[in-house]
Amino acid sequence: MTGKERLLRALEKRGVRHIFGYTGGAIMPVFDCMDKLGIFKFVMSRHEQGATFMAQGVSRASLSTDDPQVGVCMATSGPGAMNLTTGIADAHMDSVPMLAITGQVATGVIATDAFQESDVVGVMMPICKQTYMPLEADEIEKTVHEAFYVATTGRPGPVLLDIPKDILNQQVSKDYKFSLENLRPNLPGFFYHPTPARAPVKKALELINRSERPVIFCGHGVISSNAGKLLQALAEKAKIPVAFTLHGLSAMPADHPLSLGMMGMHGTVEANRAISEADLLISFGMRFDDRVTGKLNEYAQKADVIHVEIDPSEIDKNVATTVAINADVYRTLHVLVGDPMLTAKPRRRWHARIDEFRQVMADDLRTEIKGGLGDEGKLLMKTIVSQLSDMTQGQDIIVPDVGQHQMMAARFYNYQTPNSWFASGGAGTMGASLPMAIGVKLVRPDERVWSISGDGGFQMNMQELGTIMEHKIDVKIMIFNNGYLGMVRQWQTLFFDGRYAGTPMLSPDYGQIASAYGIPYRKIQTLEQIAPAIKEAIDLKGAIILEFICDPSEIILPMIPAGGGFDDMIVKRPMPQKKGGKK
Amino acid sequence: MKRRAILAYLLDHPGVLQKVSMLIRKKMYNVDTLTVCKSRKPGISRMTITLREDDEARVSQVIHQLEKFTEVISAKELDTEHSYWREAAIIKIEIDSAQLEALRSEYKFEILDYKNHDTHIIQIAGSTRKIDAFVAQLGEEHIVEISRTGVAALEK
Repeated sequence: MTGKERLLRALEKRGVRHIFGYTGGAIMPVFDCMDKLGIFKFVMSRHEQGATFMAQGVSRASLSTDDPQVGVCMATSGPGAMNLTTGIADAHMDSVPMLAITGQVATGVIATDAFQESDVVGVMMPICKQTYMPLEADEIEKTVHEAFYVATTGRPGPVLLDIPKDILNQQVSKDYKFSLENLRPNLPGFFYHPTPARAPVKKALELINRSERPVIFCGHGVISSNAGKLLQALAEKAKIPVAFTLHGLSAMPADHPLSLGMMGMHGTVEANRAISEADLLISFGMRFDDRVTGKLNEYAQKADVIHVEIDPSEIDKNVATTVAINADVYRTLHVLVGDPMLTAKPRRRWHARIDEFRQVMADDLRTEIKGGLGDEGKLLMKTIVSQLSDMTQGQDIIVPDVGQHQMMAARFYNYQTPNSWFASGGAGTMGASLPMAIGVKLVRPDERVWSISGDGGFQMNMQELGTIMEHKIDVKIMIFNNGYLGMVRQWQTLFFDGRYAGTPMLSPDYGQIASAYGIPYRKIQTLEQIAPAIKEAIDLKGAIILEFICDPSEIILPMIPAGGGFDDMIVKRPMPQKKGGKK
Repeated sequence: MKRRAILAYLLDHPGVLQKVSMLIRKKMYNVDTLTVCKSRKPGISRMTITLREDDEARVSQVIHQLEKFTEVISAKELDTEHSYWREAAIIKIEIDSAQLEALRSEYKFEILDYKNHDTHIIQIAGSTRKIDAFVAQLGEEHIVEISRTGVAALEK
């Protein structure tokens, strides 16, 4: 048996069913072997970056199902491997488990600048949780299992396997033996503390019981450990409002009375005001990133901080903690919810105060959404997302791209299904949506998946329409076309005197693109057309592209300017922009 | 800025040194000294890094992130009060014998080689400050070449 066969058998054993990628000189033997074995569904992306996001989609969406899988993507050496970097860096930022396998030139020519050679391990090291380069066929199987272990244990992350071509073709030695049961990865430095220690939990409970104005933070860790129900139970039991990070969305129903919605730069007024007045922050599985905290020295001045986090290096990194619980979020929540010490305090004054915050922008938003048209008489993204939310009862899966529409989708979709929101967050990779939606749909085939992109992000990876066409993947594609890179334009409106440098953008005729790929297409320009188009997409079996002509003047508020504190939050639209810049 | 020493035990694998140095670069530090040697346990290396930082929290960040690498078994900061920091230097000097003997009685170095009557190769060990002082007293003009090992540290 050869190295490549051991590789594929190991993947099979780990429950991998889909492999995304693109073949080429150095990885050919694996593809050949894969074809012979016929155990995987191979999905060819049109660009290696697409494969990384498809693999991410599989990992992210399947973790709440009965059959969690790790997404696997493959590429050849040199340019193939280099095209994986963006998607791998994205997975690293968002703690998504993933296995990237790249072919490498044969060991005899490594480091001679051979054709399609690049130092893949060297490039990937800082953006991977771990990198491997097996140098014997006998090592491959063991390495794959170790890679899966590392990728999924503790704080998840991407792992890279770079395998030289001759090692793939090499026969394993005659006395080769491997048993998964006896595998003990030699990782003396890999610590993982899933169970919370008693002392900090006790201290945390005391703080919770004592606090008058607590806020629970729901981060990605809640989603990754499938702890949404427990978090909701804790919030309900102790009557504590919950604010979400971008990745924490959909952990519990968005319209739950205790939900404050998203926090941070584009978070809701109620979440951000509650945080700045809170006396206790109870944060689960999040890392206090700058988009969440704003100016650090003004952040949550009056609050004690309980930080539950699996990765010890995140504790005290940005925000000093009062109580640090370095453990798995699920287990910690389980202990907290079940502890008889936890008291139900009504905290009426705090909830009344939060209701005041909720009113700050409520009327403005309601009027805006109801009006549905911007300054130029074109559609508002808020209105489209709200209608989509109503028509699907918030049950569907949303895969946004990056930008203004992403914030709209985060804020105005009423998430009801646990783990139904998949976004590129930390890295903010434009073009992530379309390929990620493909991966999501493959592992959640019975649910409806909406890929929402702006005109900018869509054009970054629209070649993946080819994959959708080829594999008949039922993804509902929405393009919010406002002719600009909307989020940057918003910053230009607010902070650059309305000079729109580098943001106007001409789009192709998406109708013709859709027809070239054999995908139905609708263009929506008026308010009356929105509901029928969404209805058609819902009823249709198969992919469809809905292009919404959106108003470039729309902005997402509130907004905390970059580097600003929560007091700098902009809640009112500023005066009409100056006509200084280029259109 | 305060000088810090970080002691780490790590797997003796290719690429680990690169990972460590990349982390330090990512954190925007310049390595002052870095020494790696075998530890008593086969397959495990011992690394001492010194860098300059006043902020306690930032140093512990570096240590936490070092510990996050699967190859790093443990990492900690060594402070000067509870540990010895020493380095050695081999210096080729041009100096006449009388002067050399005078220095020798003060600094207790070992003479490895007499190149000719006024060129010597000497070996000196001690704290960084001691070697700095020796170099200063000797004067740059007498030094042909100098090789310093960087700091090795051991807890008391």
